Amino acid sequence: MKLTKPLAALLGLGLAGAVLTGCSSQAGAQSTSAPANAKVTLTVLSPLVVETPSGDVEKAYAAEYQKLHPNVTIEFIGVPMNDAYAKISTLATGGQMPDIFINSPEFSAKAKQLGIVADMDKLLGADYLKGFAKAPLDQAKLGGKTQFAPYFTIPTGLLYRSDLFKQAGITPPTTWSAFEADAKKLTVDTNNDGQTDRWGFAMVGTNDGSGGSRFIPVMRTFGAKELVKSGSSWTTQFDSAGAIKAFKLYGDLVNKDHAVPPGPLQTGYAQANALLATDKAAMMITGPHTIGAILTQNPALKGKLAGAPLPHAPGEKSVSVLGMLGWSVSQDSKHQQAAADYIKFVLDKKNQLAFNAATGRFPTRNDALADPQVNRPELKGFIAAQDNAFILPAVPYYANLQVIAGGDYQQVILNKMTPEQAAKDAAEQTKKSISDNG
Amino acid sequence: MALQTQARPSSQAGPGPMPQGGKSPRAARLTPHAIRDQRAGLSFISPSLLVMVALIIYPLGYGLYISFFRTNLRNQWDFVGFKFFIQTLTDPAFIHSIGVTLLFAVLVVLGNLVIGTALALILNTEMRFRTLFRAILILPWLFPDVVVALIFKWIYNPLYGLLNYGLMTVHLIDKPIAWLDDPNLAFVAVVISCIWKGYPLVMILILAGLQSIPKERYEAASLDGAGPIGSFRHITLPGLLPVLIVSIILDTVWWFKHFTIVWLMTAGGPIDATKVVSIDIYRVAFQNFDFGRASAMAVIVFVICLAISIVYRKLVRDNES
Repeated sequence: MKLTKPLAALLGLGLAGAVLTGCSSQAGAQSTSAPANAKVTLTVLSPLVVETPSGDVEKAYAAEYQKLHPNVTIEFIGVPMNDAYAKISTLATGGQMPDIFINSPEFSAKAKQLGIVADMDKLLGADYLKGFAKAPLDQAKLGGKTQFAPYFTIPTGLLYRSDLFKQAGITPPTTWSAFEADAKKLTVDTNNDGQTDRWGFAMVGTNDGSGGSRFIPVMRTFGAKELVKSGSSWTTQFDSAGAIKAFKLYGDLVNKDHAVPPGPLQTGYAQANALLATDKAAMMITGPHTIGAILTQNPALKGKLAGAPLPHAPGEKSVSVLGMLGWSVSQDSKHQQAAADYIKFVLDKKNQLAFNAATGRFPTRNDALADPQVNRPELKGFIAAQDNAFILPAVPYYANLQVIAGGDYQQVILNKMTPEQAAKDAAEQTKKSISDNG
Repeated sequence: MALQTQARPSSQAGPGPMPQGGKSPRAARLTPHAIRDQRAGLSFISPSLLVMVALIIYPLGYGLYISFFRTNLRNQWDFVGFKFFIQTLTDPAFIHSIGVTLLFAVLVVLGNLVIGTALALILNTEMRFRTLFRAILILPWLFPDVVVALIFKWIYNPLYGLLNYGLMTVHLIDKPIAWLDDPNLAFVAVVISCIWKGYPLVMILILAGLQSIPKERYEAASLDGAGPIGSFRHITLPGLLPVLIVSIILDTVWWFKHFTIVWLMTAGGPIDATKVVSIDIYRVAFQNFDFGRASAMAVIVFVICLAISIVYRKLVRDNES
């Protein structure tokens, strides 16, 4: 059948009209549907999703939440922890912020300065906030305003092989001199081939957040603080006698005691916990989460790992960093309420306990913290360490101080600087950071 | 062509008084056909022009603009003028990283050139399995930088690395060496990894250059009594010169701004021994979040690369003349 031109034009117009009418009525139907049923995609920037075993747990949360809320899709942006803050800053500057992103006391001041955090007090609600343990919530606040919902804490302490300690007839050291002696004792040739094949201490000696965030608490156990409030400004104790002793300790452990596996400057967190998992090292400065990471690699070590508070210098006290991460909702998110709802789901008691069971990280909600599961034997030392936690100075350049410390302990380990020179250099760089940031 | 033939008379006429209506003599004399052709020409080049502006001119201009501000690129824009340029050019750490970068680029380019040329000369001979060897030797270029960095990181690993294992097996060393922990060894180790990654490109370019040299020249040289060294010096080298110059300059610029392999192997350490300028810029931007200063550093690096490019163009022009 052939259509004449006028008839074809008429039919075309009719079809176009029908299509347009259909479209407009569909649009109308969408606009009148309840927001709760609207399709929502929540993007979540998480460093934990790329780690084992935490990644599996996070994916399980997301799957369960999507089952409960079929209109919501959770999409993860996985970024390794050492790159997470750079990634967030890049996304922020490009106007590509995810709905939910990881935040911490080290980064919260920078995130606030970037203006990327939504009003978490309003989104979570005052009653909900009361359910958090006091210490993590205090660290999640800046100027009285909550910057993130605390997700977990990993108080820094000493993780050790309890079986090797028992074998060597030693108990967890409480002073650094005892630590050095124990580290030397645990450095052995296990197969009698004339070569050392297990070392006392897996030092994280990389010049990054992983290394620096371990050195700074060590320095504090010598009574030296990286930043001290002086009136309205900041000053540093990097060049104090305590800091010099901390730099010396790092140098001695490698060069004098030979208690550190070869290549400490290239040993990051992942390599250090692999050294424990492969029976190459007996101690490590870390949090309880490393137990989960090690057991995933070597289940045979179950029951052979335990924690203790960090040793300290005579006359000083042990300290700990809560090593906390939390979730912030992005100021740019179009689904802030849905994002807050997902965060609350992740933080409910059942999920907090599942995360604790898999990873060893401590919950932050009071109901989960009270559960006997959290007080299991291998975590007891870290629970004790938690009591010594200090609040990190909330400055936007804090992450830079960790790198400064990293650069200078590397100088000492390589004998390129004396501990005194390294301390002086760290202090000068820190003062420059303070002055550059006003 | 119509555009050229139509446009020429107007340009030859030179500037003259503006006719009535404010139109230039050139526009006044263009026929409607010529104007249509001119518009067609503009419409043909506009997609490329737009892409160039969007992908090259705008980022360069924006980078330069940022370098005059203390900024977090979001809500802080404090004008600081040339402060970051002065700060950068007087910063010993930046000068050190430029020095490290220059040495790194020179060594990698030299290594690429020596190995690439040697292998190209071998592959240019009538040997058996030549195609197979070509395919194998090009492989490193096909690996992503991340893979290369991880392979070499494992080779250099002090506990499990292949290098220590091999050296200890033949009793050249009696205990493992932490190759990436020593500043000097780490620098050499990184350079070797980059040469492994980079030589195939030079090899292919030079091989193409070798195959463009007429065989008759070698035959004539042979009749004149030239040996292999004489032939290489007087025929191969001059014949390869244009390719060599292009290879050297492209390779220098490429490795001067290299980031990935060095970052993944050493992150610029130990104690800044491998801190090439791209790592310095990355750290200032994404660890210190000092985007203005990082942009100023990037602008300075751009100027250095531009200088290399000018030298390249001059050399090529001299060579052509």
